[in-house]
Amino acid sequence: MQEKAEAAPILSMNSVEVLYDNIMLAIKGVSIQVPTGEMIALLGSNGAGKSTTLKAISGLLKAERGRISRGEIAFQGTDITEVLAQNRVGMGICHVIEGRRVFEHLTPDENLTAAAPRGMSRSALNAEKEKIYNYFPRLAERRNSQAGYLSGGEQQMLAIGRALVTQPSLLMLDEPSLGLAPFLVEEIFGILQKINREEGMSVLLVEQNALAALEIVSQGYLIENGRVVMHGTAEALKSNSDIQEFYLGGGEGTNFHNVKHYSRRKRWLS
Amino acid sequence: MDWVFLSELAINGALTGLLYSLFAIGLVLIYKASSVPNLAQGGLTMVGAYVVLALSHDAGLPLWLAIPLAAVIMFGLGFGIERVALRRLAGRPVIMILMLTLGLDIFLRGTTLAIWGGTSRSIELGVSYEPLFLGDLFISRIHLVGAGVAVALFVAFMLFFRTRTGIKLRAIADDYMASWSVGISVEHGVGLSWALASVVAVATGVIWGEIQGVDQALSLLLLKGLTVAVLGGLDSILGAIVAGIILGVIENVGAEFLDPLVGGGSRELIVAAVLILTVMIRPHGLFGRHDIERV
Ligand SMILES: Nc1ncnc2c1ncn2[C@@H]1O[C@H](COP(=O)(O)OP(=O)(O)O)[C@@H](O)[C@H]1O
Ligand SMILES: [Mg+2]
Repeated sequence: MQEKAEAAPILSMNSVEVLYDNIMLAIKGVSIQVPTGEMIALLGSNGAGKSTTLKAISGLLKAERGRISRGEIAFQGTDITEVLAQNRVGMGICHVIEGRRVFEHLTPDENLTAAAPRGMSRSALNAEKEKIYNYFPRLAERRNSQAGYLSGGEQQMLAIGRALVTQPSLLMLDEPSLGLAPFLVEEIFGILQKINREEGMSVLLVEQNALAALEIVSQGYLIENGRVVMHGTAEALKSNSDIQEFYLGGGEGTNFHNVKHYSRRKRWLS
Repeated sequence: MDWVFLSELAINGALTGLLYSLFAIGLVLIYKASSVPNLAQGGLTMVGAYVVLALSHDAGLPLWLAIPLAAVIMFGLGFGIERVALRRLAGRPVIMILMLTLGLDIFLRGTTLAIWGGTSRSIELGVSYEPLFLGDLFISRIHLVGAGVAVALFVAFMLFFRTRTGIKLRAIADDYMASWSVGISVEHGVGLSWALASVVAVATGVIWGEIQGVDQALSLLLLKGLTVAVLGGLDSILGAIVAGIILGVIENVGAEFLDPLVGGGSRELIVAAVLILTVMIRPHGLFGRHDIERV
């Protein structure tokens, strides 16, 4: 772990515990810091508690009958633990939820409009859209077709674009690479890196695809069974033997591990 | 059977059908945001009519003032229903919300009965009962006025759903969680859809109240309105208009032929048949959205 002094973190999460339905302890004291302007990865296998961590930060926990039972979350120095999800978006936190979830019956253009913050002028919205279409030229081509019929990659781009309309200073993404071909993952991650560089937007990236994620982030956290078990620079994590064995496809057993968790998790999704 | 008579049946059927569409538009508005057919729309329609009566007959306001004022009151009531009752159910299974709307309908009927009693009262819109002659055809003026209101609301809502607020409502209908994730207030959106449906209920209540009087029977419009909404596709305003015309024509023309055979009452049978066949053959109706297979 590195201890060097950094700029004040945009996000600081301290020993956070989350309970679902008042009984299911999904994360057990997670502490994470996102330094302003950096890209951070949150890695771990299925069921480890990655999505729960993001939902605790975005406030979407409430929609799933979850709550923070211990710890606190500070965003730009303010405690947001009690702030409503929609107000957190206004403060600059946007969460691209798992599984793309674009508004299927709307066009991509309407998807972007739907996310416009209250009070954003028409010209500001149009300028924002043009910027997003510049980042994702594929979306520009299909801006007036029905979003439900876009390809998986295009939907993921749209989900990210839709989040950008809210003008976040912290963008959180939940497994954006899921189910996408490697060349698309590379394209999308490249664009994320560009946005991070050009706009100074901080990014918290949740991934199972550690190999791809560690290429673009500066630091990573590894989470297992609801606890952070490792934290280090991307370089350090890439060369760590455990990480190599379990998450970079070096060893055996990975598949079994994932399958077991996957079947367990499917229950919650259905 | 001559052609003039047949076209007269068809045209008056279509006009009556548009009055069902008026009712169905209210159902569609709520379905779009909550994915639930609002079984209380009949109750709301009746309350809308009673509020107009209370403001005009009882408080002595002129109708041109009483109707917009009732619309404002009902707009508030719609928001109130979301705030008090629906918000607690957000995220619960749709069947629970459906049962809630049923309970609400019973509550609204009971309340109107307690306050205004069971005797039928009339709303005098001042539309002449003299039929209108279109060439050789007889046409009912009040039906024509009502159909005009339905078409006007249709146009207004088509435009509304292209505005930013309208797009946000459609987004809510698609995915609550994704809406929250980009800061859309789902609660506010659902409240707005109830508020708008309650305003539509005022229009429906006034027109139908003028035609058949204001009493508990107004709430039974739900059956025909629901049939139209289902045939149109539940979430399509255009569907509500087209399906209303179709049902109205089938009902009016069909009853003319069937009534002598079965000795009356065939209108209800025709409506029931349309509802049942739609659900069996084309569950998403004429214009309803299909659920898109994920790629
Ligand atoms: N809505 C929920 N209700 C109850 N338990 C849940 C819910 N969502 C997730 N969990 C449980 O919390 C744990 C962490 O899940 P999650 O955060 O989705 O993990 P990950 O995103 O790392 O796959 C899992 O054991 C999962 O079963
Ligand atoms: Mg997850």
